[in-house]
Amino acid sequence: MRSISEIFAPLSYWVSAAGISLNTDIFEINLINLILVLSILFYYGKGVLISLLENRERTISNTIRDAEERYTEATEKLHKARIRLQHAEIKADEIRISGLAQMDKERQDLVDAADNDLNGSEDSKNNAIRFEKQRAIEQVRQQVSRLASQRALESLNSCMTNQLHMQLIDYHIGMLRSMSNK
Amino acid sequence: MQIEQLQIFEIDNPHQVSSVEVGQHFYWQIGNLQVHAQVLITSWVVIALLIALPVVATRNLQTIPTGLQNFIEYVLEFIRDLTRTQMGEEEYRPWVPFIGTMFLSIFVSNWSGALLPWRVIQLPHGELAAPTNDINTTVALALLTSVAYFYAGLHKRGFSYFGKYIQPTPVLLPINILEDFTKPLSLSFRLFGNILADELVVAVLVSLVPLIVPVPMMLLGLFTSAIQALISATLAAAYIGESMEGHH
Repeated sequence: MRSISEIFAPLSYWVSAAGISLNTDIFEINLINLILVLSILFYYGKGVLISLLENRERTISNTIRDAEERYTEATEKLHKARIRLQHAEIKADEIRISGLAQMDKERQDLVDAADNDLNGSEDSKNNAIRFEKQRAIEQVRQQVSRLASQRALESLNSCMTNQLHMQLIDYHIGMLRSMSNK
Repeated sequence: MQIEQLQIFEIDNPHQVSSVEVGQHFYWQIGNLQVHAQVLITSWVVIALLIALPVVATRNLQTIPTGLQNFIEYVLEFIRDLTRTQMGEEEYRPWVPFIGTMFLSIFVSNWSGALLPWRVIQLPHGELAAPTNDINTTVALALLTSVAYFYAGLHKRGFSYFGKYIQPTPVLLPINILEDFTKPLSLSFRLFGNILADELVVAVLVSLVPLIVPVPMMLLGLFTSAIQALISATLAAAYIGESMEGHH
């Protein structure tokens, strides 16, 4: 900072024209008091001011540091939670897939069982049908043979005379005799 | 009040008895008006100080402040707390610059008047001292405060602001109207009286005992002028806060 006289030296012509002048006498007297006052002020005030300002600075840096720590903690927790979420999702998928597979398998089992039942009942049906068919055939055969023998008997009865009958019996006795002779 | 020098046989005293000039102003003619030039000069110095300080301090802004930046941040927090205490939490924000200006200008004016060696520069009439030792300065500041709280009230509540003159009872109407005149009056005279009286006392003491003895008085003067700055700013904030509150 320049001294006072240097400020006014180049302007001295202007200054003296305006009537302003530099006072050097009272300069001494009051300046001593002023310097005393200023030194006392600085001596006591500096300590207080510096402690205040240091406090403030420390509080601010502490707050900032705390905030940053909490921020890193929070991001870490978020990261961990995300990883856990991924694991949980994978497990959920697995469970879902196995559940679906089980569902399919059971459905398949039911279908197979139903098929088997169906086949079994079809077999028994076929058997029953065949049995009935055979019975019907048997019946028809019996009917046909009865009818045939009936008709034979009728025809025999219709054209049989006593003489013809005696000839037939003789023929059969002769055949039987020849057979027993062999 | 000029303490006359005894001139016997026209001896030039090596010790010049210091003169105290009250009421003598250094006039400048601007147009039709005469202004007190000594107040203007010291006010310019105060303005230069108040502008230079933040400009220098905010050069290299850092997150964790140090040195000068820490100091002015502390001052800002102080002013902000002051405003917030007086005006409440919701509406103190826009008024911090105004209250800060009042506080800082009065504070720096008073302390510059008390601490800087103004007597080095000798004017043809009058002398340089704190700008607030002139009633014009303090009345200007007080009127500014008045205008501020009127504006605050009208802006916030519209014309129902004038309803506050009849709170709590209409009987108090003349007193409330009178208050609008006494507020700036008391503000201006309080500041003016304190500063001028301190300067006069110090000057008289210096003229009586030039060394050491005025020092306690000067220290007391520093203390009271700082308090006066605080009081002016606090009262300004209180008036503004009071005119803004109400049924809001």
